[in-house]
Amino acid sequence: MSGHDSKYFSTTKKGEIPELKEELNSQYKDKRKDAVKKVIAAMTVGKDVSSLFTDVVNCMQTENLELKKLVYLYLINYAKSQPDLAILAVNTFVKDSQDPNPLIRALAVRTMGCIRVDKITEYLCDPLQRCLKDDDPYVRKTAAICVAKLYDINAELVEDRGFLEALKDLISDNNPMVVANAVAALAEIQDSSTRPIFEITSHTLSKLLTALNECTEWGQVFILDSLSRYKAADAREAENIVERVTPRLQHANCAVVLSAVKIILLQMELITSTDVVRNLCKKMAPPLVTLLSAEPEIQYVALRNINLIVQKRPTILAHEIKVFFCKYNDPIYVKMEKLEIMIKLASDRNIDQVLLEFKEYATEVDVDFVRKAVRAIGRCAIKLERAAERCISVLLELIKIKVNYVVQEAIIVIKDIFRRYPNTYESIIATLCESLDTLDEPEAKASMIWIIGEYAERIDNADELLESFLETFPEEPALVQLQLLTATGKLFLEKPTEGPQQMIQAVLNNATVETDNPDLRDRAYIYWRLLSTDPEAAKDVVLAEKPVISDDSNQLDSSLLDDLLANISTLSSVYHKPPEAFVSRVKTAPRADDEEFADTAETGYSESPSQGVDGASPSSSAGTSSNVPVKQPAAPAAPAPMPDLLGDLMGMDNSIVPVDEPTAPSGPPLPVLLPSTTGQGLQISAQLVRRDGQIFYDISFDNGTQTVLDGFMIQFNKNTFGLAAGGALQVSPLQPGTSARTLLPMVAFQNLSPGAPSSLLQVAVKNNQQPVWYFNDKIPMHAFFGEDGKMERTSFLEAWKSLPDDNEFSKEFPSSVVSSIDATVEHLAASNVFFIAKRKNSNKDVLYMSAKIPRGIPFLIELTAAVGVPGVKCAVKTPNKEMVALFFEAMESLLK
Amino acid sequence: MGIVFTRLFSSVFGNREARILVLGLDNAGKTTILYRLQMGEVVSTIPTIGFNVETVQYNNIKFQVWDLGGQTSIRPYWRCYFPNTQAIIYVVDSSDTDRLVTAKEEFHAILEEDELKGAVVLVYANKQDLPGALDDAAITESLELHKIKSRQWAIFKTSAIKGEGLFEGLDWLSNALKSKSS
Repeated sequence: MSGHDSKYFSTTKKGEIPELKEELNSQYKDKRKDAVKKVIAAMTVGKDVSSLFTDVVNCMQTENLELKKLVYLYLINYAKSQPDLAILAVNTFVKDSQDPNPLIRALAVRTMGCIRVDKITEYLCDPLQRCLKDDDPYVRKTAAICVAKLYDINAELVEDRGFLEALKDLISDNNPMVVANAVAALAEIQDSSTRPIFEITSHTLSKLLTALNECTEWGQVFILDSLSRYKAADAREAENIVERVTPRLQHANCAVVLSAVKIILLQMELITSTDVVRNLCKKMAPPLVTLLSAEPEIQYVALRNINLIVQKRPTILAHEIKVFFCKYNDPIYVKMEKLEIMIKLASDRNIDQVLLEFKEYATEVDVDFVRKAVRAIGRCAIKLERAAERCISVLLELIKIKVNYVVQEAIIVIKDIFRRYPNTYESIIATLCESLDTLDEPEAKASMIWIIGEYAERIDNADELLESFLETFPEEPALVQLQLLTATGKLFLEKPTEGPQQMIQAVLNNATVETDNPDLRDRAYIYWRLLSTDPEAAKDVVLAEKPVISDDSNQLDSSLLDDLLANISTLSSVYHKPPEAFVSRVKTAPRADDEEFADTAETGYSESPSQGVDGASPSSSAGTSSNVPVKQPAAPAAPAPMPDLLGDLMGMDNSIVPVDEPTAPSGPPLPVLLPSTTGQGLQISAQLVRRDGQIFYDISFDNGTQTVLDGFMIQFNKNTFGLAAGGALQVSPLQPGTSARTLLPMVAFQNLSPGAPSSLLQVAVKNNQQPVWYFNDKIPMHAFFGEDGKMERTSFLEAWKSLPDDNEFSKEFPSSVVSSIDATVEHLAASNVFFIAKRKNSNKDVLYMSAKIPRGIPFLIELTAAVGVPGVKCAVKTPNKEMVALFFEAMESLLK
Repeated sequence: MGIVFTRLFSSVFGNREARILVLGLDNAGKTTILYRLQMGEVVSTIPTIGFNVETVQYNNIKFQVWDLGGQTSIRPYWRCYFPNTQAIIYVVDSSDTDRLVTAKEEFHAILEEDELKGAVVLVYANKQDLPGALDDAAITESLELHKIKSRQWAIFKTSAIKGEGLFEGLDWLSNALKSKSS
């Protein structure tokens, strides 16, 4: 539309729709075109013009490309609201996809992909098939993307019509843009499928690397991202890939650069030559630095990614710390990230420069930034022993400027420094005490009190200082109260004189009687009891040697780091969260996703509350507050459709089994599946186990309620293995405060659930006193490994050869360690995974094993591991591909 | 005002436009007839899911011909095309005797429509080239054309493949339209 078309937005006449209808049916082309423009204008401003559907569609068959595009636009918008009428457009699409003009063919196929109406998708397959083989590359590339869209609407259709094969053929296309789009489409499809669909082989690898040099920048990003999933066979191949990818580092597009960096980092893992690695590190520095001259938003993304990169390979940017110095006009979010990276890059060599910078930042106006800068100084002191003294002198200088929040922040970090270097810098305590009155933030107060308590011996007026805090004890936040309690305790133990004794009396009294805080009360009671029974023991506990701390804040654990590095240049690397944590791969309508998330949150596994009591450690709250490792949220369990379970429950009376007599097996503690907080006092722990060739549900009930619970019944929802109760659940009436544990025999293939295999086992338990409790368990597949799973060498070999290569899958278990071959073999044999043969491959051992699940489904297993080194590679061949994911889950847990 | 003026204008010069619907059961030969009329040749067709529209110039009349898909699933949407229609060409597969009853029912349902009250009806007894095709009299009988009282109608034996009878039908149609508007 050209500029003056804006006039179509300004009609406000009455009866617009009938008027438009009339114009759309006009015999004059110009009038019809104007009318369609008016309709589109109305559509864009949010008026509902869906009632004009047929009239607009009737304008679709036209020579006029502009009019055609407008009608297509209308269709994309309203086809969903008029699914029945959308069928009227099919014939035109079919015709247009054979138009002599490639632009119209591509337009048709693109629009078809955007119309998400089930009724017509089938009619669109033939045109799509034609367009995938079109002579014109523009049409082919558009068709490639259309396959991905169609897969989202109807995956089965795409597979049945062989579109996936057609897409794979397009990877060998002679036009690089077509290759890039085919790759993008396949990657998209792979993302929403659990089966391996798109796997790069050495053949496609070379095709992709060739196309890489010739296609557009976004095409390059698609190709690079797909390549990053390729695992090179050996160091030589890795070097080859890196060599072909390295020129992309010079690209002007940040996304291309980051994707290239991602591949290089991944392949570097395999490269053994230190020279090559060093060279690569050198090559990666300038492009990363260049990213920081872009807009602040891009800088931020770059910085978040660099944060990960420097954790993995600090050498890359070791000499570039200057580029991370904050500019006065950087936005705050960029400054914060830069600080983080400066801390990571700080070394003995550059610490002077860095400290100068930090000191400068600590005098800026933005309070948050200043605080972070002060903390950064402290973290550098903890990280670099040789520079600690210089850091402390900078902190002292900052304290002297007497800016309230600077002082408080400095005290917090100095407390950490004291813990890192005990008995080294205590001379500065006097300076700190001068600022005592200005402290008003809980964390700073708590830190200061900790310092006073810890060094009560050396501070002459420690009792006076503490006393000044004690006056306001009841009003202080819990953090401060806890520290006051501990510090007073220490003071009393160091100087058991009258003054401190009165103080400790007052504090203990306050902390036990006056408070509602259970933490505080418990700690006070422990101290009280310790002091009243054995003051010497109290001394040993309260004044115990503390372990030295190190700065591991903002440090990611290595498996998470590797996970994130594999996702560089995605949201995952910006959030520093694995993709599973915020992306749902569930294939449903977008709306339903939200609901499923909510479901998951409610029904997901809850961790058993196992917080250790550490009231005795004086530093437990304040001392390590900045060093608490970031806990990653556990992966959400599969969503549980509760109402269904209930329906199934009621529908199958025969397997609800009444409770008879008690049995009391014992064994290792079971995982808690229904915590007592959820079960109104009833706690249920359970696990599937295999004993003597039979599967049992080992289940235990803890009655934490005030009443006797009886009449326990159990019911299992339909599941992949069709597990159901094979006998009576035998639990005697449970007295309050007691527990019972029983082995419930299970039978398989009773109530099979259709659909993809899943390890989810939904359980419902009821008793006569409480409502029905639902919880989720996981079916460990190894419970199904049969005693008959042992294979002879020859039959193993034959079976291995007879299965096609498509049936082979492999997976790495990065955290599993094989400490001794014999122990592992024995351990696995106990779970019916039978050893067949082994061989040596360079420094690694390769074990061949077999296992079998009921219905005669064998698993042929090849384990590769180096003894004592974390990381086990498990390859498996089986006729039943669907079970592979569950099998890997089972193997991983067996190898833990 | 504009429309009145155009009518006047075109009737002076004898150049008119008419909107025509081609209807009939699926596989009756509607699309083949449309392109035979428009291009004069036989094109290979697939079932029409939706519609085709082409302009055919004949006897100084510009026919805007809408060929609608005949599948059972699409027939309900024919009515979307009824307004402002001057003529209907109803195509019957004369060799498909089994479905003549259905063809009749659909035909009379169309004639009942208010929006088509003034439309002229032309029936093509198509596929005369096939062995066992009924002739025009038999089709007239089975479609019960004699029941039509209040409008002009005619039936022609046609073969879209051979190109026979189509333009004779159009001749009749253009005359009927001319006499109607004058």
